[in-house]
Amino acid sequence: MKMIRAFVRPEKEQEIVLALEGAGFPSLTKMPVFGRGKQKGLQVGPVHYDELPKTLLMMVVDDEDELKAVGIISEKAKTGFIGDGKIFISPVENAYTVRTGEAGL
Amino acid sequence: MKEITAIIRRDKLPATKSALDTLGYPSLTIQSVDGRGKQKGAMCAEMDSEMPESFCTGVKLTPTPSVYALEHTLPKKALYVPKRLLTIVVPDEAVEGIVKAIVSANQTGKRGDGKIFVSPIGGAVRVRTGETDGEAVA
Repeated sequence: MKMIRAFVRPEKEQEIVLALEGAGFPSLTKMPVFGRGKQKGLQVGPVHYDELPKTLLMMVVDDEDELKAVGIISEKAKTGFIGDGKIFISPVENAYTVRTGEAGL
Repeated sequence: MKEITAIIRRDKLPATKSALDTLGYPSLTIQSVDGRGKQKGAMCAEMDSEMPESFCTGVKLTPTPSVYALEHTLPKKALYVPKRLLTIVVPDEAVEGIVKAIVSANQTGKRGDGKIFVSPIGGAVRVRTGETDGEAVA
């Protein structure tokens, strides 16, 4: 299993989530976060924004679905401008459903 | 070292914390998150285990033409359920016991009890002393 953490624009979240739902990945967790990237924030005239609001989407998928899910997120999150976000993928060894106590997604 | 990520009901947080205390692993990080599962966030019962049944059924709108039009013209919105996300980093041998403790503290038998993920952690540093890896989480 793989955990996908996607840092995306907050205004793109609904579009991404509905696209993932349509492709059979309804389960995810979202949280609001603040961050900055290579550009060290955003300069608008004399005002410098060091930390920009982003939405962190976290989901765990089976190994074979990883590329499909990442493809959907990157397609829907893309605007072509700086600040579209990053996607990180990390391994997950085990998943448990609390209701049943069983292992597996 | 392993990282245990548990997504649980809001009202089960105190029970989970005391279950972890008794196991001897009281350190954890808590985040307020919004989540959705296989039910796509539409499950009212997911929210809190003590939610009354009548609240979940709600008021049904009679299907008049205007209600039908309203339901089919509004843009679809993704729904979420408020949850608590716990992050716990522990030595390898403690993982099994902690997973069991979290499951037994959170099990209500209804959908929305949550998920637990176990993933490997490459390294750890205790900031105060500079201790690394095993010593840092002990």
